[in-house]
Amino acid sequence: MASDDKKTQGGKLTSHDITMLGVRSSLLQAAFSYERMQAGGWAWAQVPVWKKIFGDDKKGMSEAMTDNMEFINTSPPLVSILMGLLTSLEEKHVNRQTIRGLKNGLFGPMAGIGDAIYWFTLMPIVGGIAASFASKGNILGPLLFFIVYLGIFLCRIPFAHLGYNLGTKAIDVIQDNSEIIARVATIMGLTVIGALISSYVGLSLKLKIGSVSLQKDFLDKIFPNILPLGFTFLLFWLLKKKVSPIVLIGVVFVLCIACSFFGIM
Amino acid sequence: MAITLTQGIMLGVFAILAGLDSWLEVFYIFRPIISCTVAGLILGDLRLGIIAGGLTELAFAGLTPAGGTQPPNPAVCGIMTVVIAHTTSVAPATAIGLSLPFAMLMQYILLMFYSVFSVFMPVMDKAAAEADTKKFARIPYLIMTIVSISFFIVIFLSAYAAQAPMAALVKAMPTWLIHGFELAGGALPAVGFAMLLKVLLRVEYVPYLLLGFVVASFINFSNVLPAAVIGIVFAMIEFFRDKKNKDLQAQIEELKESGVNGGEEDGI
Repeated sequence: MASDDKKTQGGKLTSHDITMLGVRSSLLQAAFSYERMQAGGWAWAQVPVWKKIFGDDKKGMSEAMTDNMEFINTSPPLVSILMGLLTSLEEKHVNRQTIRGLKNGLFGPMAGIGDAIYWFTLMPIVGGIAASFASKGNILGPLLFFIVYLGIFLCRIPFAHLGYNLGTKAIDVIQDNSEIIARVATIMGLTVIGALISSYVGLSLKLKIGSVSLQKDFLDKIFPNILPLGFTFLLFWLLKKKVSPIVLIGVVFVLCIACSFFGIM
Repeated sequence: MAITLTQGIMLGVFAILAGLDSWLEVFYIFRPIISCTVAGLILGDLRLGIIAGGLTELAFAGLTPAGGTQPPNPAVCGIMTVVIAHTTSVAPATAIGLSLPFAMLMQYILLMFYSVFSVFMPVMDKAAAEADTKKFARIPYLIMTIVSISFFIVIFLSAYAAQAPMAALVKAMPTWLIHGFELAGGALPAVGFAMLLKVLLRVEYVPYLLLGFVVASFINFSNVLPAAVIGIVFAMIEFFRDKKNKDLQAQIEELKESGVNGGEEDGI
């Protein structure tokens, strides 16, 4: 069969189909389970475009659906890029193995970049700024947050087109720069996290030795907020020692209540 | 103030929307800053909702599902913080601590779902093999329905049905216990940040973390934007340096290759 060389130039998909693919990329986690992670939702989101591409070709449809039921776990806000990209390849009936390989090669790095950008950079910044308004009762806080994330949702549509248009080209761009992108996003994220530790972890001692307040006359003289930083690093160290976060949350509760009971904090 | 049946149902319906959103991660209305505000709106105390939203959002700043661990559910925590603050008139900061058990309950339910839903995958496999898109779609619909119902039940029961016992519980609590919860509200973000650091922090990045910390400790400003700008500055510097290094690396490789070829002719 020469089907590998057969290219339907211009294709069967319209711009509207790609827009809808971007919207449907929201279903990525619809059938989440530990076994395959996002696979079910990933495949389900793309069913309409495959229907158009494969039409009456039941075998092609079944192969596409089966291939895409394999394990995948990637970044939800970025996933439409990957969907658009792979859809452009499906439409051109590129070899199944190539499509599958690209999917498996790309979803991991994209998850890393997505987490670094969205959870570790954008969320602390937007959440922190919105919360600083909201803590004073200003409606601007939640509004700002909602608008930013609505924008992030809408980005799924141009992202789907971006992936679709760049086709195979986009792979080189992302793969070439994925390390730099992830690194730079991490640097920015960590600077903000450092600031957040200082601003939002609240710990101060009530304890006095004679007339010397341990907090005001001792710790604050060494370095302000040294207690929050030290405590965060202690927890970080415990996590590295494989203590589960749930245990840590429990310990923090018990510790705080005990400190309150004995008047330490 | 008590919660009426209508308010209980409305909270439950909102819990479905926020819960599904926390399942899919699309609009982020499950984050406390939104879920608290909407809960406040439903209970007729918008200002309380916004303030609680700000505080709870901070408490959840680092508690993200990224990195593979499922945190206590922020949607449930947000709604219950406002419900508790509204019904028992405790301060929002205290209410965060009191709402945490409910958020953890939802977290455990979701963790169970993640495991249990694995059994549906073979059904999807079979539908995929037959190219039966209708049968294929049934499973995601079923899963989302189960998730929606669970969120409704958890919020409706804790906000409406179990309201009286909860108020009694809070009233019976001694002040040191309430103060302890307040302290926990301040200390919990550290757990979240520690989780972030576990994923992100490598020795080479420690300078940036300390930089952000020092900047925020000495600049008295109400948000983290100054630190973010400094972060961008360093990110840009690093970006251009990385790019340059990469180009240099390529040039070195080129020179090496040409050196091998023409080495003998122009060797001095």
